[in-house]
Amino acid sequence: MKQTLRMTLLALGAALVLPGMAAAEPGVTDTEIRIGDVNIMTGPASFIGQAVAVGSKVAAAEINAAGGINGRKIVIKTEDDGYVPSRSFQALKKLLEVDDIFALNGTSGTANVLAMMPLITKANLPTVVTTAPNELVYTPVRPSVFTIGASYEASFYAQLKYIHENLAPKGAVYGLIRQDDDFGVAVENGYARAIKEFGLKDGIRLRYKKGQADFAAEAVQMKAAGVQVLANGAIIAQAANVLKETRKLGMDLQVADVWSEIMPPSAKLLVPAGYSYLIGDYISSMSDPAAVKFMAKAKPYMTDADVAAVNRYTFITYAGLKVLAKAMEACGKDLTRACTVDNLRKIKNFDTEGLTAPVSFDNERQLGGTAIKVYQINLADQTFKTLTDYKEY
Amino acid sequence: MRTGHYKETYGELIALSDSNVVWSWVAALGVFVVILPFLVGNYTLSLAISILIAIVGAIGLNLLTGTTGLISIGQSGFLAIGAYANALLATDYGWPVWASLPAAGIVAGAISLLVGIPSLRLKGLYLAITTLAFSFIVNYVILYAEPITHGPNGIFLNDTKVFGLDLSTDRGLYYFVLGVTVLVTLASLNILRSRIGRAWLAIRDHDIAARVMGIDLVRYKLLAFAVSSFFVGIAGGLMSLQIRFINIDVFGFLLSIEALAIIILGGFGSIAGTIMGAVFLTLLPEAIRISLGLFVDPGSSAYTKYVYEIRGIAYGIVIVVFLRFKPDGLIGLWRDVRKYFANWPLAY
Repeated sequence: MKQTLRMTLLALGAALVLPGMAAAEPGVTDTEIRIGDVNIMTGPASFIGQAVAVGSKVAAAEINAAGGINGRKIVIKTEDDGYVPSRSFQALKKLLEVDDIFALNGTSGTANVLAMMPLITKANLPTVVTTAPNELVYTPVRPSVFTIGASYEASFYAQLKYIHENLAPKGAVYGLIRQDDDFGVAVENGYARAIKEFGLKDGIRLRYKKGQADFAAEAVQMKAAGVQVLANGAIIAQAANVLKETRKLGMDLQVADVWSEIMPPSAKLLVPAGYSYLIGDYISSMSDPAAVKFMAKAKPYMTDADVAAVNRYTFITYAGLKVLAKAMEACGKDLTRACTVDNLRKIKNFDTEGLTAPVSFDNERQLGGTAIKVYQINLADQTFKTLTDYKEY
Repeated sequence: MRTGHYKETYGELIALSDSNVVWSWVAALGVFVVILPFLVGNYTLSLAISILIAIVGAIGLNLLTGTTGLISIGQSGFLAIGAYANALLATDYGWPVWASLPAAGIVAGAISLLVGIPSLRLKGLYLAITTLAFSFIVNYVILYAEPITHGPNGIFLNDTKVFGLDLSTDRGLYYFVLGVTVLVTLASLNILRSRIGRAWLAIRDHDIAARVMGIDLVRYKLLAFAVSSFFVGIAGGLMSLQIRFINIDVFGFLLSIEALAIIILGGFGSIAGTIMGAVFLTLLPEAIRISLGLFVDPGSSAYTKYVYEIRGIAYGIVIVVFLRFKPDGLIGLWRDVRKYFANWPLAY
């Protein structure tokens, strides 16, 4: 009798508890999986967030059109952080607590993803970082965070290597201008690596404050130092202003630039200075066959506004969600965060259809897609010619 | 309706309120804020924490700008100092929070004298620009003093407990920040009704007349900077405990503008107004988001394309319209409402 009563109570307890446990995985229902994006949707950098949103949208639409992930459709939930780290924290808090997301794909800038890191770690949230492949993101490695992308250090090293081997005169003087933050430190590391490895003449290293618009003084300093090869660590409008000032002084330069200058709006700003600058990027350019193929395939899922917003951040976010989807698919119907994280760790040579080098996360830093292509701008039509194929640096 | 107040002791004169009705409402508010974590989810609780931190920071600014009349737009610098001081003491030196947080306020207060001393003869826009320049200097020092501040890499704060509260949980952090906010509010209310507060008001109203009356301008202006920055430094420390990661990008110039907006919207010189302003401005984006969701189809292409711009514009419009029709701020609005019901059904 007592035994029967005990067994009955146990069974009742299990009946109460187990269904709750089975339904406990956040962001997953029988019909959908909610994926979060924290994007820069407003402010001067909103062209990045808009592009990221298109990448997520296209990837989700393609996956859903093919039947979803084991019958579940992907639903993207987007929050704006305006590129402010404290807002990124609140945005992810909302996505986790109110929108109940399962995983995170769009992660804004470096400081923004770092601000979200305590929440990501606490929730064991499968996260694919594609727009901020800074070393601070994957060092130390967080168990559920997977990063696609090369470092700024590798990008500048690759470009300076190419310039040294193919373009610059012997004994050329090299110079650097970079932002005074973690991004700038990474750029300088790449520059310093090239200087040391190839025994180059280090003419000058300049720092500027984020937001600075006038670079006349810096250009004069570079001219005085005799700079012939410039590692231009400024971005977008600032990069254009640096080159405008050096052109005013009649400086004939080989220029290595940040990969943000591969985007059409940025290229438009830099072209008037007349430098056929180089870019080292882990993502294909808009002129690359892989990008052309992407645009054709994605057209049914994009509006005219979406097409206009497409840039490199679209491609990498698309690739990121595809990788995440592959990991989720391998879990079958019993989809959990822990299973997804385990499967992400097993990702090896995932084919992103040429948008990046094949992605592998089966390494200590959970870092993939680090190979870089070097491009050079064609001033006439603002397209980019591929100088080297994907290569690890 | 109360017609007069006859006070027989000095204690009654300086009491925060002599009205049992007011104390009843305060008690009700106290009960509400204590049980709030049991009524709402974690996201709403994190909003509440943000509101409380904004209150602490805005009270600090209000003492300097609203009460003493010294305009400052360098609050982001003092927030950064407080946050970095708290984070460095907690992570690099292993200080407990009950020690690192007050120390953060003391460091911010001490450093504020570097701004205060050169600014003694400055007023208005000149003082505002000086404080703005100070916030830029703070940014530079934090970036370049890498051996001390970790430079551009930022600082992650570890999970920590204080007085039995786990600050890595929303509930634990909420109660801790609530306690600090109550202490800061009581402290500032009491400072304002002391001779120091009266001296500050005199300086605001006419500093030369105050000097003629025997108020030492140097002493009281520096005290205003120090006390204000102490509270703002505490707010910065609380921010670091909430986000648990800080770097220089967290303390943009916009924070200074938002702090000014809080005290202007709330009502210059009023602690109650500051609290109302902090609640209003922190919840405004959420209110706009919810309102847009009610009146516009979230699935429409216009909504998805323009929603973020619409929210940003709506935020600005609400503030401008409010100030146009209620320049006294929220405390002015509250006083009007109270007067209306006190006189009702009569007009006056």
